[in-house]
Amino acid sequence: MDIININSYMIISLMLFLFGLFTTITRRNIIGIILGIELILNSAALNFAAFSKFSASNLEGQLFSIFIIVIAAAEAAIALALMLSIFMRHGDINADKLDRLRG
Amino acid sequence: MNIELKEIVFLCVAIMTILPCFIVAFSRNILHSAFALFFTFLGTAGLYFFLDADFLAVVQVIIYIGGVLVLLLFAILLTRNIEDIKTTNSLSIKHSVLAGIVSLIIIGGLLYSYISNRWVFPLRENPDYPYFTIKELGDLLLTKYLLPFEVVSILLLAVLIGSLVIANRSVR
Repeated sequence: MDIININSYMIISLMLFLFGLFTTITRRNIIGIILGIELILNSAALNFAAFSKFSASNLEGQLFSIFIIVIAAAEAAIALALMLSIFMRHGDINADKLDRLRG
Repeated sequence: MNIELKEIVFLCVAIMTILPCFIVAFSRNILHSAFALFFTFLGTAGLYFFLDADFLAVVQVIIYIGGVLVLLLFAILLTRNIEDIKTTNSLSIKHSVLAGIVSLIIIGGLLYSYISNRWVFPLRENPDYPYFTIKELGDLLLTKYLLPFEVVSILLLAVLIGSLVIANRSVR
């Protein structure tokens, strides 16, 4: 048996992406939405690294994974600041109640 | 049909990556979701080790677990009272039905395209894949990908200043 191949990695990454998408759509809390986005970014980075190992001859896919991780960290920092700001102003971070811009 | 020890460990790591996603997606308590995300990130680091990406695995553990997850836990603890945390992560039924349909359509389309195209991926690793990745990654970062490296550093500086400005304005 040879299960450590690119198909396994693609299946794992697909599952991570789908759970992230489900979490992003269904959550009402903004932090829950951020958790789903982190899952999606994680699956993309895993897919880049898997293709770099199995079907490329150099390490550029891993480099893209590192850039994705850096951008995810930046996104989490900005999201924390924005959530604190929203919470101080509205007292709630429910995404359904933040409808001040609705016409 | 003989299964080596490495493949058993790979299966355990893959299950450790996939199973906490159920808790992330369906738990009512958002602290449970965040702690389940810890196991997912740890399992992804293990999968990076199976890809011989040692530097990437260490970066995953340091930045995702040490940075992103701690930031998210801070966000949870700063924005919610501890008393009503059990009901903070409610799912909307209408949205979950919609999201389930969308997810099923996407997984069906991806599986159909994968089966119908008969892509042939090389199943074995390349023989000229470097054994130690850190030196090769450093060479790539400072020669071919120098401009994205600098752009990412400017982005990190902007994030540092911007998050301080946004959070400071809210406190005042």
